[in-house]
Amino acid sequence: MTLNQIGLFAALGLLGGALGARLPRRWLLLALSVLAVFWLQPATPIRNLDFWLPLASLGLSAVIWGLTLPAGTPLTRRDATAGLVTLGLALGVALLRYVPDACCLTASRPPEVLPVSLVLAVIAGVVWLTGRGFAGQPWALTARVGLLIGLFVVLKYEPLTTLAAAGLRSLGGQDASLATAYDIRWLGFSYLAFRLIHTLRDRLTGRLPHLHLDEFLTYAVFFPAISAGPIDRAERFQKDLQSEFRLGGGTLAEAGGRLAQGLLMKFVLADSLALFALNPQNAAEVQSGGWAWVLLYAYALRLFLDFAGYTHLAIGLGLLFGIRLPENFNRPYLQPNLTAFWNGWHMTLTQWLRGYVFNPLTRALRGRNWPVAVIILCGQVVTMLLVGLWHGITLNFAVWGLWHALGLFVHNRWADFAKGRFQLPQRLAAVGGALLTFHFVALGWVWFALPTPELAGRLFRLLLGGMQ
Amino acid sequence: MTQEIQSKLNGYITAEIMKQPDRTLGADEALISGGLIDSFSLVDLALFVEETYGVRLDDTELNAQTFDSLAQLAALIQSRM
Repeated sequence: MTLNQIGLFAALGLLGGALGARLPRRWLLLALSVLAVFWLQPATPIRNLDFWLPLASLGLSAVIWGLTLPAGTPLTRRDATAGLVTLGLALGVALLRYVPDACCLTASRPPEVLPVSLVLAVIAGVVWLTGRGFAGQPWALTARVGLLIGLFVVLKYEPLTTLAAAGLRSLGGQDASLATAYDIRWLGFSYLAFRLIHTLRDRLTGRLPHLHLDEFLTYAVFFPAISAGPIDRAERFQKDLQSEFRLGGGTLAEAGGRLAQGLLMKFVLADSLALFALNPQNAAEVQSGGWAWVLLYAYALRLFLDFAGYTHLAIGLGLLFGIRLPENFNRPYLQPNLTAFWNGWHMTLTQWLRGYVFNPLTRALRGRNWPVAVIILCGQVVTMLLVGLWHGITLNFAVWGLWHALGLFVHNRWADFAKGRFQLPQRLAAVGGALLTFHFVALGWVWFALPTPELAGRLFRLLLGGMQ
Repeated sequence: MTQEIQSKLNGYITAEIMKQPDRTLGADEALISGGLIDSFSLVDLALFVEETYGVRLDDTELNAQTFDSLAQLAALIQSRM
């Protein structure tokens, strides 16, 4: 989100708060979220893709809503209204192409109304059919999880993204030979996919409450959280949506504080640090170990300030509309060990992976009578590899994931060994542990920040005092 | 009943997870956010609860938001018995 976008959302929140109960909040949030998906989508060189990708986010969410309905649930008037509002808004965004002074909400001119209308009709039909014929069917739910993972792989693995970009360029009559992986930048897909997989999986286990279409869509593409999280849970989000909300002085002060903190962290501190934070270019040029450490410290701080700052902004905006998004950071660089670091860094992603990967895997392996250490190692490696690959399917992200998996494993075994045997003095454990943990994490960022093992190797040699 | 469940949970956690069988946990002591139980041991705790009380704890519930103390876990178990 840009400063203008944040300012407009905050102003709308204040306006909504001033009008109070006279505004139907759930419809306001649905409309804002639907429009924001189009507005926040970055431009792409592929014609009209900045319209089709947001529409795909909405269509995919609506179809998955149909699948997660309790079997035999009739389509309610409220669901039909939500569907019509969403279709109407999407059509309205497309119609802006004919209004020269108001064009456009999307980054480029939207497509013609006829193809848009056809696609909207197909989406409505698929949602209706899915809700009538396949709601709650385990194979259909599982297939949709597979589809989301497949899309995820295409978007995160550069050769496949380039291939998909070439295909889309050909479809639109553009030169396919110019395709690159950067052609397809799907706003917030990583977060959207994890929210949708959560609803599918919880529907499979019977834990997902019944959500109306407006609640489901607002949850999936809630505008403060669409581009960089946090990853909320549907049942928690629904409670906030259903509760009475009045923007009182306390909430206003809290929201204002979070927004101010977020703006300072992201737009002042993080953006300033970006000037000399580690990047592929300065990593290739730096000549001394001292400067390499400066670049790395700046990167570690910038990454935290940028991401945690963004989370403050998302939470602050959410509060203005009566939604308390979950926290994503808890002083990660001050934690005394790596396990505590991961309990305080990108918390909603790690909780998601614990709930849907680590815990089920550990539970399954526990039944096999494998040695405890082997089970722990397997769980940590699989989970942290996924954390790494979630950022992009590259060797360096995989190594970054393994770096942390091994760190967590070593800490776990050490903690288990020390249990009941001896205890370090509390102050030493806290300060020494925090310093050690921060440096382990900071060195790990080398893999995260740099695209190739060669570049990472060059920087490690400088950092650790060796020759280039 | 709640006291009984808390006492049994206390025995399991201190002996099997913390390896400090002589210790007694406070009913409201932070188990997960306080770092007393790690994510691996949480799965073991869930298996213990399931075997002992026949109550299923979902994998997505093994976190401090769902329960973070003996009192909260005992209440959760009792609500499902």
